[in-house]
Amino acid sequence: MSNDVFVITEHMDGKFSDVSFEMVGKAKELTSAWGGQAVAVVVGGGAASNIFASDATIHVDDAALSQFNPEAYGKVIEALVKEKSPRLVMFGWTAMGMDIAAWLSARTGKPCVAYARDLCIENNALIVNSQVYGGKMIAEVAPEGDMVIVACLAGSFAVEAGQGSTAATQIASPVALVGLKTKFVEAIKPAGGDVDITAQAKLVSIGRGIGSKDNVELAEELAQKLGATVSSSRPVVDAGWLPRTRQVGKSGLKVKPKLYLMLGISGAPEHLEGMKSAELIIAVNTDKKAPIFNVAHYGATADLFEVAEAMLELL
Amino acid sequence: MNIVVAIKHIPSIADDLPVKGNNVDFDSVDFVLNEFDEQSIEQAVLVKEAVGGTVTVVGVDVIGELDNVLHLALAKGADKAVKITGDDPAADSHQQAKWLAEAIKGLSPNIVFAGVQASNDLDGQIGPMIAAYLDMPYIGGVSSVEVSDHTATVNKEFAGGFGAKYSVSLPMVVGVQAASKPPRYAPISKVRQVAQMATIEKVAPSGGVSSGLSFKKMAPPVVTGHAEMIGGSSKEVAAKIVELLKSKGLA
Amino acid sequence: MLTTIEKIVFVALALVSAGFTVHGFKLIIDSIRKGRPAPELKNVPASLLNAGVKVLFQQTIFKARKALSAIHMGLFFGLITYAFVNLFDVLEGLVPGFDLVYGGAHIPNAPTGLINAFNLIADVMSMFLLVAITVFLIRRFIVKDKALDYRENILLNPKVKAGGQQIDSLIVGAFVIMHVIAHLMSQSYRLTNGAYPFMPIASFLNSIFGTSETGVHVAWWISIGWVMFIIPYLSRSKHTHFFMAPVTLGLAKQNPRGQLDPAIPLKVIEGQKFDPGAKFIHDLSWKRALDAYACVQCNRCQDVCPMNFAEGAPLSPSALEVNKRYLLKEATFGSHPDRLLLPLTETVISAEAVWSCTTCHACVSICPVGNEPMADIVDIRRRMIVDGAELDSGVQNALQSLATNGNWMSKGKRLRGRWAKEMEFPVKNATEEPVEHLWFVGDTASFDERVIPNTKMVARIFQQGGLDFGIMYQNESNAGNDVRRVGEEGLFEQLVEQNMQAFGKAQFKQIVTTDPHSFNTLKNEYPQFGGKFEVKHYTMTLLKLFEEGKLTVKNKLSNYKVTFHDPCYLGRYNGGFTAPRKLLEMLGVEFVEMPRNCENSFCCGAGGGQIWMGKVAPGERPAENRIKEALTTFGESTNEKTQLFIVTCPKDMVMYSDAVKTTGNEGKIEVRDIIQLVAEAVGVEEPVVAEAVAA
Repeated sequence: MSNDVFVITEHMDGKFSDVSFEMVGKAKELTSAWGGQAVAVVVGGGAASNIFASDATIHVDDAALSQFNPEAYGKVIEALVKEKSPRLVMFGWTAMGMDIAAWLSARTGKPCVAYARDLCIENNALIVNSQVYGGKMIAEVAPEGDMVIVACLAGSFAVEAGQGSTAATQIASPVALVGLKTKFVEAIKPAGGDVDITAQAKLVSIGRGIGSKDNVELAEELAQKLGATVSSSRPVVDAGWLPRTRQVGKSGLKVKPKLYLMLGISGAPEHLEGMKSAELIIAVNTDKKAPIFNVAHYGATADLFEVAEAMLELL
Repeated sequence: MNIVVAIKHIPSIADDLPVKGNNVDFDSVDFVLNEFDEQSIEQAVLVKEAVGGTVTVVGVDVIGELDNVLHLALAKGADKAVKITGDDPAADSHQQAKWLAEAIKGLSPNIVFAGVQASNDLDGQIGPMIAAYLDMPYIGGVSSVEVSDHTATVNKEFAGGFGAKYSVSLPMVVGVQAASKPPRYAPISKVRQVAQMATIEKVAPSGGVSSGLSFKKMAPPVVTGHAEMIGGSSKEVAAKIVELLKSKGLA
Repeated sequence: MLTTIEKIVFVALALVSAGFTVHGFKLIIDSIRKGRPAPELKNVPASLLNAGVKVLFQQTIFKARKALSAIHMGLFFGLITYAFVNLFDVLEGLVPGFDLVYGGAHIPNAPTGLINAFNLIADVMSMFLLVAITVFLIRRFIVKDKALDYRENILLNPKVKAGGQQIDSLIVGAFVIMHVIAHLMSQSYRLTNGAYPFMPIASFLNSIFGTSETGVHVAWWISIGWVMFIIPYLSRSKHTHFFMAPVTLGLAKQNPRGQLDPAIPLKVIEGQKFDPGAKFIHDLSWKRALDAYACVQCNRCQDVCPMNFAEGAPLSPSALEVNKRYLLKEATFGSHPDRLLLPLTETVISAEAVWSCTTCHACVSICPVGNEPMADIVDIRRRMIVDGAELDSGVQNALQSLATNGNWMSKGKRLRGRWAKEMEFPVKNATEEPVEHLWFVGDTASFDERVIPNTKMVARIFQQGGLDFGIMYQNESNAGNDVRRVGEEGLFEQLVEQNMQAFGKAQFKQIVTTDPHSFNTLKNEYPQFGGKFEVKHYTMTLLKLFEEGKLTVKNKLSNYKVTFHDPCYLGRYNGGFTAPRKLLEMLGVEFVEMPRNCENSFCCGAGGGQIWMGKVAPGERPAENRIKEALTTFGESTNEKTQLFIVTCPKDMVMYSDAVKTTGNEGKIEVRDIIQLVAEAVGVEEPVVAEAVAA
C-alpha cells in the first residue's frame, strides 16, 4: 500500500478534459499532506500526456485502447490499481468515469464516493463532500479502508493547479486485452448543421418549466429578438423537444456566454456544471426556492411565458 | 430474450428533504422511481417489442411501497416483477446492487438495463456494480439500444452530441440515459388492473456487502451567494431584464 | 272526390310509402339500439310529456337567435296544422261528399263553427309556412348565413362536404312550398260558391283562377301525392329531426350536468364486456346515437363553442352530430356497414378536435334537442387514453405528475401546504383536528405563486369571519375534475380514492372549495364513490359570512367599475350565479353585466385539460375575446373608476391576467379575484412582513 493518489485522466480527440487537470491539482494538494505521489494515469493513445503537474504520469497504450472502451479501460485500471495499491483513485463523474468508478469499487471491494465536490484530510483520514439529491443535500462521508475511489464533479477544483509538464512513463497494458466483449464501432458526431452553442455569446436556455414541445417556439422567438440561440437543460432534450446539441450541463456542453438567460430551469447540479461560469446569468423561475437563484446574478420569481412575451414586446 | 430492468426506489427531490441524524429522514419523505429508471424501463420494453422476449423488472423494496412502481412498469409493458424485500431505506447502492445481482443471476438475463444514475447514488450507481458482480460488460450513458442475435448495439453519449457506438456480445448491463423514444404514458386504469391481477414475486435479500462509507453529516448546501431578485409583475420583470441587457449592450 | 281508379292508385301508393317509411324508421331504431346502455332514466312518460310541452311551446330554441326561433315556431305550428290538413285532404279524396269548404256544408250535422275555425287556421298557417320556409331557404341559399357552414379545417363526412344537407334542405323546402301551394289551389278550385270568408287566401286564389273539377284533382294529387314521397324521404334525411327531436329531449340526461356518464355502462349485460369510452360509433350509448337523428344542424352549439370560435381549432359539436348520422346512414341505408368499424376519430371528429374541447358544456346547454356532443368527445378521449394514444406532451406531463404527486404541477406532495405554513396564524390540519369547514384548496391555489397571495387572503378572510376551517395539507390530492374530462378515468378514480381516504381521516361538516372545478366533481361525482358531502364554493361561504354579520363591509368600493365572469363549473354546470353577484352588490362596486353571462357565459379556454396542453390553436384565444367583451361592456373609459374583471376561479386568474397582457390592455382593465375586493372592503390587509428572499 502506498499513499499515492491516482488520477484517472480522460481525453477525447487528443484533448484532455478540464476535470483531469482539476483532479491532478487536488491530488497534489492531498499528497502534500499524505506524503505520497500524485500520479496522473492516462489510458489510450492519441494525446500528449506530458502536460500535467503530477508527480508522475503513467501512460498505458495499446491498440485496444485507441478509443474509449469501458470494458478495456476498466480492466487496465483495475490491474494498475491492484498492482500499485494507491490510497486514492480519482475519477471524473463524467460519461467515462461514471462507467468505471462504481464498477471498480464492486470489483475491488473498495469504497466509492460519487458526486464528489471536495476532498480533505482530517486527522490523517479522508473526508469527502458529495453533492447528492439533485444538489439539495451535501453529504460528508468518511470512506473506510486502505483504498478509496472517488468520482469528482467537474468544475470542483481549479484547472490551473493541475497543468504542468511532467514526462510520462509509457507502459504496455498490464493485462492482456483479448477476448473483449465490447467493441468500439464508430464515433458519433453531433448532428451536422446545428449551431455550436459553446460558440454563442448569448443563450436563452429553457428547462422543464417550458412545459411542452410547442412552447419551445416562444423561446426561439425571444432568442431571435435578442440575437441569441436557444439552449436547454437535460430534461428538455430527453423529452425530444430540442436536439442533443443544445443541451447545457454535465451530460451536455459547457458554455461560457456573455448572457445566459434561463427560463424555467431550477438549477440541478448537472446543469450548473455546464453554465456557472457564464458572465451574466439571469434566471426566471416560478419556484422562489429554486437552487438556480443561488447561482444566478439576477433572478425573478415569475411566469416564464409572461416574462418572455412581455420581453418580446419590449425588444 | 430475457430482458431485466434493475430499478431504484429513491427519495423524491420534489419536496424539501428533512434530515435526521447524519442522513435524510427517510420517514418524512416520499419515495419515487428514479427518473432514469423510467427511461430504462421504456428502453427495455422497446427492445422487447423489437425482438421479442420477456421484460422482468427487479427492485429492492426499501420502504415497502415498491408495488406501485412495479405495477406501473407492468402496465407499461414489463411482463414480470420481482421485489427484493430489503426493507431498509438506507440501503446503499452497493447493498442494493449485490441483492439485485443475486436475484438477477437466477433469471439468466441476456441483457440488463439500469438507470444511468440516481440522485442518491452517493456510493456509485447500481448498474456498473451489478455488471461487476455478474461479470458482464457495462456501458452507461446510453441513448439507444438495438439487439440482434447475441449482440447489442448501443449508442453512448459523451457530451454535446458527441458519442460512440459500441457493439457488445451479450449478456451485458446497459446504463440508460434516455430511451430511444420518450417514455410512454401508462393509463392508470391499466395500472390498477395490473395491480389487481399481477403477482409480484418476492425474493429475500441474499448476499451482504458494505459500501465502506460512514456518514459524518448530511445537510442542505450552505448558500454562498444569491441572485439579486427582480420584483414586480411579469411585465415589470421583463422591463427590468430588457433594461439590464441594454445597459450591458446585450440587447 | 277521387275516381275509383284514382283511389286504387292512391291506396297502392300509400301502402308503398308506408312500407318505405316503416322500413326507414326500423333501420334508424335498429341503428340506435346497437348503442351501449345509457344511464338509467327515471319516470320516462313524465319526462316525455314534459318534453312534449317544451316542444309545443318551442321553449328550448329561444335560448338564442330569437328572430329565427320565432320563424322556426311558425314553421313548427304550420307543419302541425298541416298534419291535420293532410288528414282531411285524404278524407276529402276518399270519402265521397266529405268536403270542408264552406264549413262542411255537404256533411250532415257538421260542426260548422269548428270547421270554419280550422279552415281559417289552416289557411293562415299556409301563409305562415310559406313565409317561414322561404325565409329559411333565403337564409341558406341566398344570404348564405355562415352560421350554417363549417370551417375548412373541420372533419366532415364527404357527402356533407359535397352538400348533402343542402340538398336535403332544398328538397324539403321545395316540397313544402309546392305542397302548400297545391293544397291552397285544391281548396280554391273547390270554392264553387265564390269567396268563403274563412279561407281568405284560397278565396283570393279562387278570384283569379276560378273553379275547376280537374284542377281539384290535379292539385290534390300534387299536394298529397308529394307527401307519399316525402314521408319516406324524411327518414333518410336530416329531417328525422321532426320526429326525433321531441324524443331526444324527453330522454335527455337526468343526472346533474356536472356528472359525466360512466366510462363503462353500469348496466351489466350478460356476455358483453365493454371497454371504457368509445372508439367506434356503437361504443356510444344508444342515446347518443339518437342525438344524431335529432340534430338538424342548426349549429347553435357551434356559435357558443369557445374552441370553434378559436379559428385554428378544428372543433364543431354539430359537425360531430351530422357526421355520426351520415356514418349510421351509410351503414344502415347504404352499402357501407364496414364503415362502422372505422374509428370515430376518422369518421366523425378529428383527434385534434377531440383534444381541443374545454368541456365547458356550452354546446350541451344551448342544444334545443338535448344532445350531448361533449359527452361523446369525453368518451372518445377515454378510449384513446386506454388504447395508449400518443398524448400531447403537456397533458402527459400533467397526468404523470398527478399520478405520482397528486398534483399536475410536478410539485412534491408535502409542498401543498407550504403557503399555509407561511401564514401569520396557524391553519388547522383538518386531518388531525375536527373543523367545521374543510377547505379543499386545489392545485393552482396551492402551488401557483401568482395565485398564492389570493389563497392566503381567503384564509385571512375566513379567519376574520370566525370560520372554523382547516385544510388537508399533503393529504389533499387534485380532485380530478379535469383529469376525468381529459379522459383519464383510471387516474380520476385513483385521485377520488386518495381524497376519500383523506376525508376519512378528517372530521368536518362541509367542504368549501376555491376552485370551481374541484367544486363540481366533489359535489356531483364524488357521491357516486360514496362521498356525499355538503360542498360549497367560497363565494357561497363568503356570502353567508356577510349575511350572518360575521363579515362587514367597512369600505364601500364605489371607485371600482366591475364586471364578473361566470366560471363554467360554478355557473353553467352548477347554477352558482347569485352568490358572486350578491357579494359584489354588497361591496358597493358599480357592476355591469357582460352580454354573455350566467348560463351563456363564455369559457376562458382552460377547462377539460386545456390548461395542460402544450399545443394551442393559433388565432385569438377565448380568454382574449372575453377581455375584449368586458372592455366593450365598460364602454368608453371615463378615467374616474378603475375597471376590474372579477373572477372566482384560480384558473381564470391565470388565464385572464395573461389575456389582458396579450391583448395589450394593461392599464385599462385589471383581473382580480373577488377575495381581493372582499379584503379591501372588509379592511383585511396583507401583513407588512417583507417576504424572506429564497433561502
